[in-house]
Amino acid sequence: MAPGGFRVPEIEEEGWSAIPDATARVDIRARAAWLGQHVIPHEPALRNWLRRRPVEGLDIDDIIQEVYARLVALYSVDHVENPRTYAFQVASSVRINHIRRLKVVAIDSVASFEHLDVADDGASPERVVAGRDELRRLDRMLASLPARVAEVFRLRRVEGLSQREVAQRLGVAESTVEKHMARGAVLVAERFKTGGIAPAPASKPMIRRFFR
Amino acid sequence: MARETADDIDEAAASWAARADRGLSPAERAELDAWLGGDVRRSGAYARMTWALMSTERGEAGAVRQPRRVTRRGWLAGAGAIAASLAATGVYLGATGPVSYATRKGEQKVVSLDDGSVITLNTNTRLQVRYSNNRRQVDLLDGEALFDVAKDRERPFVVTARNADVRAVGTSFTVSNLGSAPVEVLVREGVVEVTRADLPQRTAARVTANSRAVLSRDTGAVAVAHVDEVELGSDLAWTDGRVIFRGETLAVAAAQFGRYSDIGIVVVDPDLGAEKVAGVFNATDPVGFAKSVALSLDAKVEIRADLVRLTR
Repeated sequence: MAPGGFRVPEIEEEGWSAIPDATARVDIRARAAWLGQHVIPHEPALRNWLRRRPVEGLDIDDIIQEVYARLVALYSVDHVENPRTYAFQVASSVRINHIRRLKVVAIDSVASFEHLDVADDGASPERVVAGRDELRRLDRMLASLPARVAEVFRLRRVEGLSQREVAQRLGVAESTVEKHMARGAVLVAERFKTGGIAPAPASKPMIRRFFR
Repeated sequence: MARETADDIDEAAASWAARADRGLSPAERAELDAWLGGDVRRSGAYARMTWALMSTERGEAGAVRQPRRVTRRGWLAGAGAIAASLAATGVYLGATGPVSYATRKGEQKVVSLDDGSVITLNTNTRLQVRYSNNRRQVDLLDGEALFDVAKDRERPFVVTARNADVRAVGTSFTVSNLGSAPVEVLVREGVVEVTRADLPQRTAARVTANSRAVLSRDTGAVAVAHVDEVELGSDLAWTDGRVIFRGETLAVAAAQFGRYSDIGIVVVDPDLGAEKVAGVFNATDPVGFAKSVALSLDAKVEIRADLVRLTR
């Protein structure tokens, strides 16, 4: 027998083609708010978990995006009782589907999938977005952005100007304002990775209370 | 294969979120829909970037920044759908006493606990989680599970399986409690202590990373052996939905598949059953396994409704 291993039978994929339609069906802002409330606070923990389970040819960011895509594709989130566990479950199935798509896998490379190169699990306690002082939080966020981007966000969010008004105020093209907004989005989203959004306490004290 | 990177998608998603922030024309709306309809990851990235911008809003959308109680009330007043999900969360968090988790044959489940620990249940497994102020207790009633334990020095994480207590502070290990086989503990990171759960005077065996502890069913003696990385990898392959064989006999391999599926593999000829197999297989596809084996061992495969027969 060839030592290299057999073909791994492909499994039937779930209905991925349903995703594009789903975004038309779902109110994206409502779903984004649900994600922001219930799933994004757990993104650091999810990334930690994925870091110990590398998948050939797939970055953690790929998996995270696909997890959110699946959550967006849900017709409704009413049945999701524990979003954190649900997100982990979805991440796990995304991983497994990809691994099975690799088809032919040499034994040695398979063994190294569960490679022991992860240092420590306790490093990053998940943080919950629950800042008390909204303005101070917004200030802190703005302070961390590049000056021009921060100015756009301040005018748009604090002063409540439209993007067009911001452009007029700053004497730049609307498309420039748009670019700054996009840049800001990327920088804010970057912080979802580590949970460094608000100086919120780790979740532990809450758990104690709940499980007593 | 020129696959769009996650970063590319994030950049594009951020642009779309920024455009949506100022309002989209019907043409742009259509363009966005077309874009979202491409790579599967795009809609996820777009929702995430939408939240990135929403989270900087003040007022209703930024409700997450309010103290939690206010947030909940606000949401409850708002969308019914979300209210229901929040209510469910409240019920879940308020729950006291043990919480049970189970998988059916062929099923796997990942359970993420609120302390950051994650349990992966293998096929046909039942366990109960009981957290208290000074102990995180899991009873592995049946089956096999991988425990990725978040560090908490004040609350040890203890898995009890039949006659074994497996105690950890922060580490990663599996415990299996399968029918008549002895309880096994496989440690891939950190250290765990294994003690007899059924004896008053407890002596602990320390089991370090890359080791396996086997608890004798009768004497309760704990035998600890080193496992190399390759073996560890194949023993944990189930967490990827796979089984790996590295020279096991076909008879043993066929029995393994019995754990994951109701479709049994029957190896008729004892000589055939003694043949060695190697390879990586989808754990829940006994038919695929049997076909592959038949090919490489030059055997015949006969597929019935609930049974696969392998003959020479």
